[in-house]
Amino acid sequence: MNERILCALAGVITLSATHVSEAAPAKTIAVNQFPKEAQLVERVLVPVPSEVFAVLDKLGKPNWPDVLRAQKGLATPVGGKEQISLMLGVVIAEGFIAVEAENGEEVKNIGNSVRSLSKAIGVEKAVSRRANSIVEYAEKRRWAEVRKELDLALTDVRQAMMELNSESLAQLVSLGGWLRGTEALATVVNKGFSRDGAELLHQPVLIEHFHVQLQSLPEKARKEALISKILNGLKAIRPFMGAEDGSGISEKDAREIGKICAELVAAVNSKNK
Amino acid sequence: MNPVFFVKRTFFATLAALIFLSGPGTARGTIDDALSFALEAAQGAVKEGFTVREEYWGGDLPSGQPKPIAHQLFKGNEYWFWMGTDCKGAKISVHIYDSAGKLAEDEVWQKGQKAAAKIKPKRTGTYYLLVEIEKSPDERTVWSLAYGFR
Repeated sequence: MNERILCALAGVITLSATHVSEAAPAKTIAVNQFPKEAQLVERVLVPVPSEVFAVLDKLGKPNWPDVLRAQKGLATPVGGKEQISLMLGVVIAEGFIAVEAENGEEVKNIGNSVRSLSKAIGVEKAVSRRANSIVEYAEKRRWAEVRKELDLALTDVRQAMMELNSESLAQLVSLGGWLRGTEALATVVNKGFSRDGAELLHQPVLIEHFHVQLQSLPEKARKEALISKILNGLKAIRPFMGAEDGSGISEKDAREIGKICAELVAAVNSKNK
Repeated sequence: MNPVFFVKRTFFATLAALIFLSGPGTARGTIDDALSFALEAAQGAVKEGFTVREEYWGGDLPSGQPKPIAHQLFKGNEYWFWMGTDCKGAKISVHIYDSAGKLAEDEVWQKGQKAAAKIKPKRTGTYYLLVEIEKSPDERTVWSLAYGFR
């Protein structure tokens, strides 16, 4: 990982000597010193899928039906709470792709799958209204509203989990969404490769964040084959995301990122442990 | 109080109320109260089409001790970050730095208990949001930071 970012994520940042707090902001800050009094805010807010899709909308019109992985029915909960949480994230991300593909039937299917998976981990009540709205708006083909409801479903389910003291599961929902979203992004980037598009894959702070979250899972969960596989996958993805910035991400790099994410998504959805 | 991030169920209700009603909420020294100032700061941008995230950061800080927040931004989007505090008499600021530690914001404003910074990132990647209580009558001051994108 980029040494600068690693230093910062480890905890600290200091202002350069030129900083004058009330007059003007410092032109630069140093991220390689570690005084205790300036700990980095340790929490990372994972961007909602809409943030990435908003950029993709501006880059052109990808062939979303090609990217969509249509479900063969309602998603069935598999494995323990960790795996189901990851699945939920994957399904919500698929919902965004279905919206882009303007596939109403698939969006409705996904709305019902969200409800089914949420029920399995005890947060159905929190997302029930969102799931209903997703289905309702999809029937009316009101895509902007569906997208908004999917964002909010993701937020609601995470909030409900935190209220149940399951913050680690909440992070797994985000991770599942990120894996499928990144896989889809890599697919789109590769179908019409451009440097601007590929640069969207430069997300080192998120890789580091998810890595830390997985490492902080209870030992039993951390030792599960699926979690180990994802930890290794995150480590494998990082070198392809660019060092200093994303300007050097090649078509091959984007393909590798997509391939690793696809394998991890398949593992999340797998019935075999 | 450690800085953390939060989700507020009534976030959009609060935001809607702030858009249609004038005046800040009752100050009780909580992060939610600080958030109401941040959301008040967001009103103009919301009218310009910015989508406000329902999750936000918050915590408390002593004066003159800036705190960085690492955050992923995407080139192609525009972002506003809004900071608020319910501490009367406090002066706060938020600034945006790129992954190399260079000041990167395009626009910034500061008005007592509210401050904001805007960026249209030139690159996709990690940015640092530097929040600071510049001065305050209290030893530690509660703050909140929300953001929006379009």
